[in-house]
Amino acid sequence: MILLISTCSEKLSEEEFVKPISKIIQQKHEIKNYSENIEYSKYEKILICGTALKDNEYINDLEKFDWIKDYNNPIFGICSGMQVIALSFGAKLTKNKDIGMLKIKTTKENRLISGEFYAYELHGNGLSKLDKFEILAKSDKSVQAIKLKKKEIYGIMFHPEVRNQDIIRTFLNLDTGGLS
Amino acid sequence: MKLAALFSGGKDSAYAMYKAMNHHEISCLIAIVSQNPESYMFHTPNIGLTEIQAESIGIPLLTVKTKGEKEKELTDLKNALKHAKKLFSIKGVVTGAIESVYQATRIQKICDELGLWVFNPLWQKDQVELLNELLENKFEVIIAGVFAYPFDKSWLGRRLDKDMIKELISLKEKYKINPTGEGGELESFVTYAPFFKKKIEIKKASVSYSNYSGVYKIEEAVLK
Repeated sequence: MILLISTCSEKLSEEEFVKPISKIIQQKHEIKNYSENIEYSKYEKILICGTALKDNEYINDLEKFDWIKDYNNPIFGICSGMQVIALSFGAKLTKNKDIGMLKIKTTKENRLISGEFYAYELHGNGLSKLDKFEILAKSDKSVQAIKLKKKEIYGIMFHPEVRNQDIIRTFLNLDTGGLS
Repeated sequence: MKLAALFSGGKDSAYAMYKAMNHHEISCLIAIVSQNPESYMFHTPNIGLTEIQAESIGIPLLTVKTKGEKEKELTDLKNALKHAKKLFSIKGVVTGAIESVYQATRIQKICDELGLWVFNPLWQKDQVELLNELLENKFEVIIAGVFAYPFDKSWLGRRLDKDMIKELISLKEKYKINPTGEGGELESFVTYAPFFKKKIEIKKASVSYSNYSGVYKIEEAVLK
């Protein structure tokens, strides 16, 4: 079973940041908000969705994401989802706002993305101190995709549900090599 | 949260507003009246009729006239939102954007500058599902403009119903059109929505059409 986690503090934002991803996922999946009590271990893969530009509530609730450190199956974080993953492993938030289409370059060969492409951005934060991660892609000014060195835990700053939906499908099809 | 609804009088902005009403208070409607029929953001044949829609809804309408020059109309929108912030203490905006990254990017940037939330509850929504939901929720919608092949004169003034949805699905398969008209193929006008206190009855309308481009202009309408 796949789990889709909403990082939205406003229910209405879920129509915009969670439902489009749910539409892409063909497999059976559940949707839960990060503020709920969730038994994470029963899910084979987890996607953490983004939220509205004005929504920073998830940053005040980081203890709700403590489970990330102990979870051993693949995780895919989008925008705020990438931020909570990175923060769980020692990264720091920076101010870095991007709104609209941006050119992304893959900087390290990986299982999710390749080459150069344009992606839709909607974020006010960036990340630094990403020592525990491989940097998979960058824009001209910031890190756009990361992977935790020791696990199949990915984060991307752009919104693949708007452009580049195949990245979500590729993550869902990742062979977890006996994990779970 | 108090919100302003960007309101064109068409089905998408009305349905987005309907969804937002379940969670927030809509304090005002903002209609951008573009004098440029080629407007990138705000071209709508019956935008003047938003007044009678607002009367039926019972929510104040801010009408902003713009010459419709590409970036100038965004300044006009920004000024309208500033005005709405001051008059109605809005904290955010709801729009009917579905697919247009161009439109969404510009609205996100303006609202960011003004410190406003943006809600796009129809974002990336399946277009056929959207049309079906409009009927399920008793929206009454007519086609008020056609702007692409194969939409001919017979579409103007037609009411959205199940047969029309079937036809749009088959046209999508044949001609790759967007069934909701999101690509600018169609414009719509809402004569009734669940949050209207009265239905809008069209008393008089005129049709101008040539070569797969035409407008159903409502000349006279009343609330009944």
